[in-house]
Amino acid sequence: MFLAIVPAYNEGKTIGSVARGLFEHVDKVVVVDDGSTDDTFIEAQKTCAVVLRHEINRGQGAALETGHEYARKIDADYVLHFDGDGQFDPSDIAPALKALQESGADILFGSRFLGKQANLPFFKKFFILPLAKLLNYLIADSRLSDVHNGFHILTRRALDSIRITQDRMAHATEIVALVKKNRLKYIEFPVSVRYSEYGQCAVGGLQILRDLLLDKFIK
Amino acid sequence: MLILFQILFSLFALFAIISVYSKKRSGLLSAGAAIFWTPFWLLAVVFVWLPNALTVVANTFGIGRGADLVLYVSLVVVFFILFRLSVKIEGLNRSITKVVRDKSLSEVLERDSSTRSARSE
Repeated sequence: MFLAIVPAYNEGKTIGSVARGLFEHVDKVVVVDDGSTDDTFIEAQKTCAVVLRHEINRGQGAALETGHEYARKIDADYVLHFDGDGQFDPSDIAPALKALQESGADILFGSRFLGKQANLPFFKKFFILPLAKLLNYLIADSRLSDVHNGFHILTRRALDSIRITQDRMAHATEIVALVKKNRLKYIEFPVSVRYSEYGQCAVGGLQILRDLLLDKFIK
Repeated sequence: MLILFQILFSLFALFAIISVYSKKRSGLLSAGAAIFWTPFWLLAVVFVWLPNALTVVANTFGIGRGADLVLYVSLVVVFFILFRLSVKIEGLNRSITKVVRDKSLSEVLERDSSTRSARSE
Protein backbone atom coordinates (compact mmCIF):
# COMPACT_ATOMS: atom_id res chain seq x y z
CA MET A 1 0.00 0.00 0.00
CA PHE A 2 1.22 3.47 -0.93
CA LEU A 3 0.15 6.01 1.69
CA ALA A 4 0.40 9.79 1.47
CA ILE A 5 0.81 11.76 4.70
CA VAL A 6 -0.27 15.39 4.49
CA PRO A 7 0.48 17.45 7.59
CA ALA A 8 -1.81 20.48 7.66
CA TYR A 9 -2.04 23.48 9.92
CA ASN A 10 -4.59 26.13 8.96
CA GLU A 11 -4.66 24.96 5.33
CA GLY A 12 -8.44 25.09 5.01
CA LYS A 13 -8.24 26.85 1.63
CA THR A 14 -5.95 24.29 -0.01
CA ILE A 15 -6.25 20.98 1.88
CA GLY A 16 -9.34 19.78 -0.02
CA SER A 17 -7.80 20.18 -3.49
CA VAL A 18 -4.41 18.83 -2.30
CA ALA A 19 -5.98 15.67 -0.82
CA ARG A 20 -8.23 15.08 -3.86
CA GLY A 21 -5.25 15.58 -6.18
CA LEU A 22 -3.37 12.79 -4.42
CA PHE A 23 -5.90 10.00 -4.79
CA GLU A 24 -5.01 9.14 -8.36
CA HIS A 25 -1.34 8.68 -7.39
CA VAL A 26 -1.52 6.84 -4.03
CA ASP A 27 -3.73 4.16 -2.44
CA LYS A 28 -4.61 6.07 0.68
CA VAL A 29 -4.32 9.66 1.92
CA VAL A 30 -3.91 10.60 5.57
CA VAL A 31 -4.35 14.24 6.49
CA VAL A 32 -2.97 15.12 9.91
CA ASP A 33 -4.76 18.25 11.06
CA ASP A 34 -2.27 19.73 13.49
CA GLY A 35 -4.66 21.61 15.76
CA SER A 36 -5.85 24.02 13.08
CA THR A 37 -8.04 26.92 14.13
CA ASP A 38 -9.66 27.25 10.70
CA ASP A 39 -11.83 24.72 8.82
CA THR A 40 -8.95 22.42 7.77
CA PHE A 41 -10.51 19.44 9.59
CA ILE A 42 -13.93 19.91 7.96
CA GLU A 43 -12.45 20.46 4.49
CA ALA A 44 -10.23 17.38 4.84
CA GLN A 45 -13.19 15.27 5.94
CA LYS A 46 -15.08 16.23 2.78
CA THR A 47 -12.48 14.24 0.82
CA CYS A 48 -12.03 10.46 1.10
CA ALA A 49 -8.88 10.96 3.18
CA VAL A 50 -8.40 9.51 6.66
CA VAL A 51 -8.20 12.55 8.92
CA LEU A 52 -6.16 12.39 12.11
CA ARG A 53 -6.62 15.35 14.39
CA HIS A 54 -4.16 16.78 16.90
CA GLU A 55 -6.27 18.55 19.50
CA ILE A 56 -3.53 21.14 19.94
CA ASN A 57 -0.86 22.34 17.55
CA ARG A 58 2.32 20.26 17.93
CA GLY A 59 4.31 21.17 14.81
CA GLN A 60 4.98 19.65 11.40
CA GLY A 61 7.45 17.04 12.65
CA ALA A 62 4.93 15.80 15.21
CA ALA A 63 2.20 15.63 12.56
CA LEU A 64 4.43 13.61 10.22
CA GLU A 65 5.31 11.15 12.99
CA THR A 66 1.60 10.74 13.79
CA GLY A 67 1.14 9.83 10.12
CA HIS A 68 4.11 7.42 10.40
CA GLU A 69 2.50 5.69 13.40
CA TYR A 70 -0.71 5.26 11.43
CA ALA A 71 1.26 3.94 8.42
CA ARG A 72 3.03 1.36 10.62
CA LYS A 73 -0.29 0.23 12.11
CA ILE A 74 -1.89 -0.36 8.71
CA ASP A 75 1.30 -1.92 7.27
CA ALA A 76 1.95 0.59 4.50
CA ASP A 77 4.68 -0.39 2.01
CA TYR A 78 5.54 3.13 0.89
CA VAL A 79 4.91 6.48 2.54
CA LEU A 80 4.86 9.86 0.84
CA HIS A 81 5.34 13.17 2.69
CA PHE A 82 3.40 15.86 0.88
CA ASP A 83 2.80 19.42 2.12
CA GLY A 84 -0.78 20.58 2.57
CA ASP A 85 -0.32 24.07 1.14
CA GLY A 86 -0.34 22.98 -2.50
CA GLN A 87 3.30 23.82 -3.19
CA PHE A 88 4.10 20.37 -4.63
CA ASP A 89 2.95 18.96 -7.95
CA PRO A 90 1.19 15.57 -7.62
CA SER A 91 2.40 14.59 -11.11
CA ASP A 92 5.92 14.23 -9.59
CA ILE A 93 4.74 11.31 -7.41
CA ALA A 94 4.53 8.46 -9.93
CA PRO A 95 7.96 9.04 -11.55
CA ALA A 96 9.50 9.55 -8.09
CA LEU A 97 8.09 6.24 -6.82
CA LYS A 98 9.31 4.49 -9.98
CA ALA A 99 12.79 5.97 -9.50
CA LEU A 100 12.86 4.82 -5.86
CA GLN A 101 11.76 1.28 -6.76
CA GLU A 102 14.27 0.99 -9.57
CA SER A 103 17.14 2.32 -7.47
CA GLY A 104 16.54 -0.10 -4.58
CA ALA A 105 17.07 2.81 -2.18
CA ASP A 106 15.22 3.17 1.13
CA ILE A 107 14.21 6.81 0.89
CA LEU A 108 13.77 9.45 -1.81
CA PHE A 109 14.39 13.12 -1.17
CA GLY A 110 12.71 15.63 -3.46
CA SER A 111 15.04 18.33 -4.74
CA ARG A 112 14.34 21.72 -6.29
CA PHE A 113 17.79 21.86 -7.80
CA LEU A 114 18.04 18.79 -9.98
CA GLY A 115 16.90 19.81 -13.43
CA LYS A 116 13.66 21.57 -12.56
CA GLN A 117 13.60 25.32 -12.29
CA ALA A 118 12.82 26.52 -8.77
CA ASN A 119 11.62 30.09 -8.46
CA LEU A 120 13.31 30.71 -5.12
CA PRO A 121 12.92 34.07 -3.37
CA PHE A 122 16.21 36.05 -3.23
CA PHE A 123 16.71 35.97 0.56
CA LYS A 124 15.96 32.27 0.67
CA LYS A 125 18.29 31.45 -2.21
CA PHE A 126 21.35 33.39 -1.05
CA PHE A 127 21.02 33.39 2.73
CA ILE A 128 18.67 30.79 4.22
CA LEU A 129 19.48 27.91 1.86
CA PRO A 130 23.32 28.05 2.11
CA LEU A 131 23.04 28.28 5.91
CA ALA A 132 20.59 25.36 6.04
CA LYS A 133 22.88 23.29 3.81
CA LEU A 134 25.83 24.06 6.08
CA LEU A 135 23.77 23.05 9.13
CA ASN A 136 22.72 19.79 7.46
CA TYR A 137 26.32 19.08 6.58
CA LEU A 138 27.58 19.78 10.10
CA ILE A 139 24.84 17.89 11.94
CA ALA A 140 23.92 15.12 9.52
CA ASP A 141 27.00 15.03 7.25
CA SER A 142 24.55 15.46 4.40
CA ARG A 143 25.53 16.47 0.88
CA LEU A 144 21.97 16.68 -0.43
CA SER A 145 21.41 19.27 -3.15
CA ASP A 146 18.32 20.54 -1.34
CA VAL A 147 17.40 20.93 2.31
CA HIS A 148 14.07 21.32 4.07
CA ASN A 149 12.19 20.10 1.02
CA GLY A 150 9.11 18.32 2.37
CA PHE A 151 8.73 15.88 -0.52
CA HIS A 152 9.94 12.44 0.61
CA ILE A 153 9.03 8.85 -0.22
CA LEU A 154 9.95 6.22 2.38
CA THR A 155 10.02 2.47 1.98
CA ARG A 156 8.81 0.25 4.81
CA ARG A 157 12.41 -0.19 5.98
CA ALA A 158 12.91 3.58 6.16
CA LEU A 159 9.54 3.99 7.89
CA ASP A 160 10.60 1.55 10.61
CA SER A 161 14.00 3.21 11.06
CA ILE A 162 12.93 6.85 10.96
CA ARG A 163 11.10 7.88 14.10
CA ILE A 164 10.79 11.64 14.23
CA THR A 165 11.26 13.16 17.68
CA GLN A 166 11.63 16.77 16.52
CA ASP A 167 8.13 18.20 16.77
CA ARG A 168 8.78 21.40 14.86
CA MET A 169 10.77 22.17 11.70
CA ALA A 170 14.04 20.53 12.79
CA HIS A 171 12.54 17.21 11.67
CA ALA A 172 13.93 17.82 8.17
CA THR A 173 17.51 17.71 9.48
CA GLU A 174 16.63 14.88 11.88
CA ILE A 175 15.39 12.70 9.00
CA VAL A 176 18.68 13.19 7.13
CA ALA A 177 20.63 12.39 10.31
CA LEU A 178 18.57 9.21 10.86
CA VAL A 179 19.18 8.12 7.27
CA LYS A 180 22.90 8.32 7.93
CA LYS A 181 22.68 6.74 11.40
CA ASN A 182 20.64 3.77 10.14
CA ARG A 183 22.75 3.44 6.99
CA LEU A 184 19.76 3.80 4.72
CA LYS A 185 20.29 4.18 0.98
CA TYR A 186 18.86 7.37 -0.45
CA ILE A 187 18.33 9.02 -3.81
CA GLU A 188 17.36 12.52 -4.83
CA PHE A 189 14.70 13.27 -7.38
CA PRO A 190 13.81 16.58 -9.08
CA VAL A 191 10.45 17.98 -7.98
CA SER A 192 8.63 21.22 -8.71
CA VAL A 193 7.90 23.61 -5.88
CA ARG A 194 5.52 26.50 -6.18
CA TYR A 195 6.27 29.09 -3.55
CA SER A 196 3.69 30.56 -1.24
CA GLU A 197 4.36 33.22 1.38
CA TYR A 198 5.06 30.55 3.95
CA GLY A 199 8.61 29.35 4.56
CA GLN A 200 11.56 29.44 6.90
CA CYS A 201 12.81 32.85 7.97
CA ALA A 202 16.08 33.59 9.78
CA VAL A 203 14.34 33.28 13.18
CA GLY A 204 12.95 29.91 12.11
CA GLY A 205 16.48 28.80 11.27
CA LEU A 206 17.69 29.75 14.74
CA GLN A 207 14.75 27.86 16.27
CA ILE A 208 15.80 24.75 14.30
CA LEU A 209 19.36 25.12 15.55
CA ARG A 210 18.12 25.48 19.13
CA ASP A 211 15.88 22.40 18.82
CA LEU A 212 18.71 20.29 17.41
CA LEU A 213 21.06 21.35 20.22
CA LEU A 214 18.49 20.74 22.96
CA ASP A 215 17.85 17.29 21.54
CA LYS A 216 21.38 16.27 22.53
CA PHE A 217 20.46 16.70 26.20
CA ILE A 218 17.07 14.97 26.21
CA LYS A 219 16.98 11.31 27.17
CA MET B 1 21.71 51.73 55.98
CA LEU B 2 23.98 48.70 55.54
CA ILE B 3 22.82 47.35 58.92
CA LEU B 4 19.19 47.53 57.75
CA PHE B 5 20.06 45.61 54.56
CA GLN B 6 22.02 43.03 56.60
CA ILE B 7 19.09 42.51 58.95
CA LEU B 8 16.56 42.22 56.12
CA PHE B 9 18.78 39.83 54.18
CA SER B 10 19.35 37.68 57.28
CA LEU B 11 15.59 37.49 57.86
CA PHE B 12 15.07 36.54 54.22
CA ALA B 13 17.77 33.85 54.48
CA LEU B 14 16.15 32.52 57.66
CA PHE B 15 12.82 32.37 55.87
CA ALA B 16 14.52 30.58 52.94
CA ILE B 17 16.08 27.96 55.24
CA ILE B 18 12.73 27.35 56.99
CA SER B 19 11.09 27.03 53.57
CA VAL B 20 13.79 24.53 52.47
CA TYR B 21 13.06 22.34 55.48
CA SER B 22 9.29 22.54 55.19
CA LYS B 23 9.54 21.58 51.48
CA LYS B 24 11.93 18.75 52.38
CA ARG B 25 9.46 17.47 55.00
CA SER B 26 6.54 17.58 52.57
CA GLY B 27 8.60 15.71 49.97
CA LEU B 28 8.80 18.59 47.43
CA LEU B 29 12.58 18.87 47.82
CA SER B 30 15.13 16.07 47.74
CA ALA B 31 17.65 15.48 50.57
CA GLY B 32 20.48 16.48 48.20
CA ALA B 33 18.81 19.79 47.36
CA ALA B 34 18.24 20.53 51.08
CA ILE B 35 21.91 19.79 51.81
CA PHE B 36 22.91 22.23 49.03
CA TRP B 37 20.52 25.10 49.88
CA THR B 38 21.05 25.20 53.67
CA PRO B 39 24.82 25.94 53.60
CA PHE B 40 24.22 28.22 50.60
CA TRP B 41 21.95 30.54 52.60
CA LEU B 42 24.12 30.29 55.72
CA LEU B 43 27.18 31.26 53.67
CA ALA B 44 25.24 34.13 52.08
CA VAL B 45 24.44 35.47 55.58
CA VAL B 46 28.12 35.18 56.59
CA PHE B 47 29.22 37.15 53.52
CA VAL B 48 26.57 39.81 54.04
CA TRP B 49 27.75 40.44 57.59
CA LEU B 50 31.45 40.13 56.68
CA PRO B 51 31.70 41.68 53.18
CA ASN B 52 35.50 41.79 53.36
CA ALA B 53 35.60 38.00 53.63
CA LEU B 54 33.92 37.81 50.21
CA THR B 55 36.46 40.24 48.79
CA VAL B 56 39.26 37.96 50.02
CA VAL B 57 37.63 35.02 48.22
CA ALA B 58 37.13 37.17 45.07
CA ASN B 59 40.80 38.23 45.11
CA THR B 60 41.91 34.58 45.08
CA PHE B 61 40.04 34.27 41.74
CA GLY B 62 41.62 37.47 40.41
CA ILE B 63 38.41 39.49 40.83
CA GLY B 64 38.70 42.86 42.56
CA ARG B 65 35.43 43.10 44.48
CA GLY B 66 33.29 40.56 46.30
CA ALA B 67 30.15 42.04 44.75
CA ASP B 68 31.58 41.38 41.27
CA LEU B 69 32.23 37.75 42.18
CA VAL B 70 28.58 37.39 43.29
CA LEU B 71 27.44 38.98 40.01
CA TYR B 72 29.54 36.67 37.81
CA VAL B 73 28.60 33.52 39.70
CA SER B 74 24.91 34.52 39.66
CA LEU B 75 25.03 35.05 35.90
CA VAL B 76 26.52 31.59 35.32
CA VAL B 77 23.97 30.01 37.65
CA VAL B 78 21.04 31.83 35.98
CA PHE B 79 22.17 30.68 32.50
CA PHE B 80 22.56 27.12 33.74
CA ILE B 81 19.08 27.16 35.28
CA LEU B 82 17.65 28.56 32.01
CA PHE B 83 19.33 25.76 30.08
CA ARG B 84 18.00 23.11 32.48
CA LEU B 85 14.52 24.60 32.20
CA SER B 86 14.69 24.59 28.39
CA VAL B 87 15.64 20.90 28.37
CA LYS B 88 12.86 20.12 30.85
CA ILE B 89 10.26 22.07 28.84
CA GLU B 90 11.31 20.30 25.63
CA GLY B 91 10.94 16.95 27.39
CA LEU B 92 7.45 17.96 28.58
CA ASN B 93 6.58 19.08 25.04
CA ARG B 94 7.47 15.64 23.71
CA SER B 95 5.32 13.99 26.36
CA ILE B 96 2.41 16.25 25.39
CA THR B 97 2.93 15.34 21.72
CA LYS B 98 2.81 11.65 22.60
CA VAL B 99 -0.50 12.06 24.43
CA VAL B 100 -1.98 14.13 21.57
CA ARG B 101 -0.74 11.57 19.00
CA ASP B 102 -2.06 8.54 20.89
CA LYS B 103 -5.47 10.19 21.25
CA SER B 104 -5.73 11.11 17.56
CA LEU B 105 -4.68 7.62 16.48
CA SER B 106 -6.99 5.80 18.90
CA GLU B 107 -9.98 7.84 17.69
CA VAL B 108 -9.38 6.87 14.05
CA LEU B 109 -8.36 3.27 14.69
CA GLU B 110 -11.43 2.70 16.90
CA ARG B 111 -13.64 4.18 14.19
CA ASP B 112 -11.96 1.95 11.57
CA SER B 113 -12.45 -1.20 13.64
CA SER B 114 -16.10 -0.39 14.45
CA THR B 115 -16.76 0.24 10.72
CA ARG B 116 -15.14 -3.10 9.86
CA SER B 117 -17.17 -4.99 12.48
CA ALA B 118 -20.41 -3.30 11.32
CA ARG B 119 -19.66 -4.40 7.75
CA SER B 120 -18.98 -7.99 8.80
CA GLU B 121 -22.31 -8.12 10.65
